Amino acid sequence: MRAFYLLLKVAAILVWSAFVIAPFLWALTTSFKTANGVTGGPTYIPWVDYQPSLAAWQGLFGSGAGSIDIVGPFISSVMVTLSASLVSLVLGTLAAYGLSRFSYKAGPVGNSDLTFFFVSQRIMPPVVLAIPFFLMLGWLGLLDTVLGLIIVYVALLLPIAVWVMVDFFNTIPKELDETAMIDGCTPIEAFWRVILPNAVPGLVVAGIFCIIFGWNDFFFAFTLTFTQTQLLPVAIVSLNSSVTPWWSLSASALISVTPLIVVAFLVERYLDKGSIGGRK
Amino acid sequence: MTYRINNLCVRQGTETHLDGITLDLPLSGVVTVMGRTLAGKTTLLKVLAGLQAPDSGTLERDGRNLLAIPAWRRRVGMVYQQFVNYPHLSVRENIVFPLKRAGLSADAIARKLGYVTELLGLGELLRRRPAELSGGQQQRVALARSLVKDTEFLLLDEPLVSLDYKLREQLRDELRRIFRDGGDRLVVYATTDPLEAMIMQGQVILLHEGKVVQAGDCRDVYRRPANTTAATIFSDPPMNLVKGEIADGHLRIGVGVGSDVPLHFRDLPRGAYLFGIRASDVELGGSGIGARVALAEINGSTTVLHLELPFGDMVLLMEGVHPHAIGDQVALNLPPSRFFAFDADSQNLVAAPPVD
Amino acid sequence: MYGLTRYKLFFLLPGLIVLLAIILFPLVFTIRVSFSGWDAMTPGLGWIGGNNYGRLLADGRFWQSLGRLGMIASTAVALEYALGFALALLVWRQIRFRRVVRVLFLIPMMTTPVVMAVIWRTIFHESLGPVNDFVALFGIPPVQWLTSPEWATFVVILVDVWQWTPFMFLLLLAGLLSLPREPLLAAAIDGAGPIRAFLNVTFPAMAPISVGAIIIRLIEASKIMETVYVVTSGGPGTSTETSSYYIFIRGLRDFQIGYAAALSITYLVIMIVLLTIIAKVLTKTLVKAEG
Repeated sequence: MRAFYLLLKVAAILVWSAFVIAPFLWALTTSFKTANGVTGGPTYIPWVDYQPSLAAWQGLFGSGAGSIDIVGPFISSVMVTLSASLVSLVLGTLAAYGLSRFSYKAGPVGNSDLTFFFVSQRIMPPVVLAIPFFLMLGWLGLLDTVLGLIIVYVALLLPIAVWVMVDFFNTIPKELDETAMIDGCTPIEAFWRVILPNAVPGLVVAGIFCIIFGWNDFFFAFTLTFTQTQLLPVAIVSLNSSVTPWWSLSASALISVTPLIVVAFLVERYLDKGSIGGRK
Repeated sequence: MTYRINNLCVRQGTETHLDGITLDLPLSGVVTVMGRTLAGKTTLLKVLAGLQAPDSGTLERDGRNLLAIPAWRRRVGMVYQQFVNYPHLSVRENIVFPLKRAGLSADAIARKLGYVTELLGLGELLRRRPAELSGGQQQRVALARSLVKDTEFLLLDEPLVSLDYKLREQLRDELRRIFRDGGDRLVVYATTDPLEAMIMQGQVILLHEGKVVQAGDCRDVYRRPANTTAATIFSDPPMNLVKGEIADGHLRIGVGVGSDVPLHFRDLPRGAYLFGIRASDVELGGSGIGARVALAEINGSTTVLHLELPFGDMVLLMEGVHPHAIGDQVALNLPPSRFFAFDADSQNLVAAPPVD
Repeated sequence: MYGLTRYKLFFLLPGLIVLLAIILFPLVFTIRVSFSGWDAMTPGLGWIGGNNYGRLLADGRFWQSLGRLGMIASTAVALEYALGFALALLVWRQIRFRRVVRVLFLIPMMTTPVVMAVIWRTIFHESLGPVNDFVALFGIPPVQWLTSPEWATFVVILVDVWQWTPFMFLLLLAGLLSLPREPLLAAAIDGAGPIRAFLNVTFPAMAPISVGAIIIRLIEASKIMETVYVVTSGGPGTSTETSSYYIFIRGLRDFQIGYAAALSITYLVIMIVLLTIIAKVLTKTLVKAEG
């Protein structure tokens, strides 16, 4: 009975793992195909089902027929994601520290309302913001620029940074800041010299979340850029036409998702600290 | 030459933490602030430190308004009941942190570090992180950090309460020694334990629900608690209180229990009173008021019995280990010469037993 | 106190001002635009009163898209919750297993939804994709995954489940790991079987975190449109068109800016009201013990 139970368990885990991995395996094998390996119906195993080729991968970096520039969009994506994450992290951490430590009062508005204001921005559907963003960036002359996208992404990521960091700062005892102040630190020095060095796990989690959401956004990059600036997801989706080169599509998709999968492996241990689990 | 605290009030939402505190404190020596949990001790200390702004009231040192000075320029040290150290710094870096903030020279820092390290026996631990220390060691580091710098006053908020019994006794004696030759700084020591207050000596301030119940030399307060509240706060276990009366030359408590009026009650008019007797003054045996043991605790070298009497509950404390089973019947002696008398209505002290 | 105000503002203001500038202004502006007849022919804020809102009330396509969104989002989130909980229970006790499995299960959440949607589209391709190849093994004729309304909806939900079940898994596993052990032990001592112990002890204890996870997912799922855009483009016809996607078409494809703004505001208000009600109801029904 026990063995049967265990077997069932392992089977369930294996089935789900297969489901998780299947699209990646499919993309991987497809990325080594040529038109022949695709148009004849589905094929799976290289050398057996089809003759593998590096053409798709070479096309991503090289030039020549059927080449697709993925390097430019990749760099743009990295720039936008990292800059916006950094700005959000700085602003969000400062605001979160304030909200966690001081009490604010402006008429009926108090700390919890302010925190809610920050965090509630996640409810806003992108499409609601897309039109005013489009017009706003147009007026500023920032449509189709990296800078314009960074500004927009800060709006998306700031709530995440505040959300994670308020919770994190609340777990650091207030007595630590108080002791720092008694030891001669102004509030800013206390934050910088004592609280920040002890907030690294929270910063890592908040940073990762910002990077995930920034890297994975498509909609704003899609609606606010056209030709000058292109982010990776937009570049990939633009391959998704009626005559889709599946091999290039697969190769570029794999390149696009790999960085964060690597990140997933690196940060797994931070998830143990309840940094995203403790909240309700 | 004093600290003058006038009508200090702190409220948070609907809660009142300090309710009109008015006090004069000396510039040096030890002042013990006593009160139960939530009596306002911590809030008072935080106002003194500059960590909490009062809603109203003033705080002056020789006429200089301290409330205008923020915590980081107030020259004060504070030790919490939780052991608060900087987790990311080593013990050495923890201790010199305030000195570096104050911009002292490397020489001066080394000298002062050497002094407190010696004083608190931290020599071996300087390279460790706080997380690698025991509770007692962590509290020593916190203490070292507050002692190392040049402060006008030092605040300790129940610094020993999170330590185990043995460490508590040891560190308590060290503290007394340090404070005694502690120069001309004022030490404000908050505690719930009357024993600690007695050991620190000096002035004691009894707080209850944000108000000062009584302030004065600790021996005077112990001998003559101003009212039942003060008597309860300043004795551990709390003083036993029973209703009774003085009539026709007799003192009566409960039904059929009485005695002659003791000497120190001679001048009291007849009427109803609240009589108080410390747990340590209740004796077993003697004339024999019957009582039932409801609970028996042995704490270290003392025995505490919780007793049920016909006219109420009582606590008895005696030296030594005396096992008793729950439900045991015992005979009690309540020596009237050790009785306090409180007014039945105002609960203020009207007579206290003479000093031996 | 003691000039603390300027420190307080130093921390809060930069973030607050930036967010107000980037979010609040657009929102207010959108409200204003929704009362204008702004479109490709006559751009500008020309006031047309509530005309856009009147038109919206009679716009069957919008209301259908809302209903469809509700169906897709609730089905997907329900599946993700059930699967995520089941997976969390599977690996909960296996310490050695847990770390490897957790990273593995985490991966879909880290991938770009729209990029994976492109891959999924090739997988469900009717003649060239592996899924129809696979079902053929069971003698099933090729399914029109992307061109029949029902199957297209199914694919959209499946892609969402693939992507976001890890999120549920992660939150619920963290919740399970933080549960106190004593009640479960007590239940075991009382002779409760695993199923009864789950129903009486684990599930109620997990209610608060469950409600939180479901709400967060519903919020995110209510914005669903990228997957739809890539996998089905809302089709066939309008059969997988969600509200966001419909607003996107009206606003940034047809350039009926004023009308799209009115749709946006209506959509936002409906979402906030609905999500608030759902949160209240869920909290009431699931979190009984604390009520």
